[in-house]
Amino acid sequence: MNDDKRSSLSGLSETEARQFHRIFVTSFLVFTAIAVVAHILVWQWRPWL
Amino acid sequence: MWRIWMLFDPRRALVALFIFLFVLALVIHFILLSTDRFNWLKGPHPATAAAQTTNLPATVASNSK
Repeated sequence: MNDDKRSSLSGLSETEARQFHRIFVTSFLVFTAIAVVAHILVWQWRPWL
Repeated sequence: MWRIWMLFDPRRALVALFIFLFVLALVIHFILLSTDRFNWLKGPHPATAAAQTTNLPATVASNSK
């Protein structure tokens, strides 16, 4: 049986899973970078520790 | 790690993740708004801020008027 056929639990093939994972990781890193910048700005405004 | 998307449906996972992050952000923002120090709309309330920083008799006297 070919691995690239839709036989996984989610219905994604390996290629699709890899593609989605690349977008997911990139989006996560962008989100984290924005969050870090926001926290730095808030810390400068009023540090909480 | 990418094999996780062969187990979990990305569409459902994304919807769940977005809902979770939105509710979490909403809760955190409302908690911050409810505090005196981190309320960015009204700023620190003078009496509360004074009571938190100092307990001078003058402050107490001005508050008891």
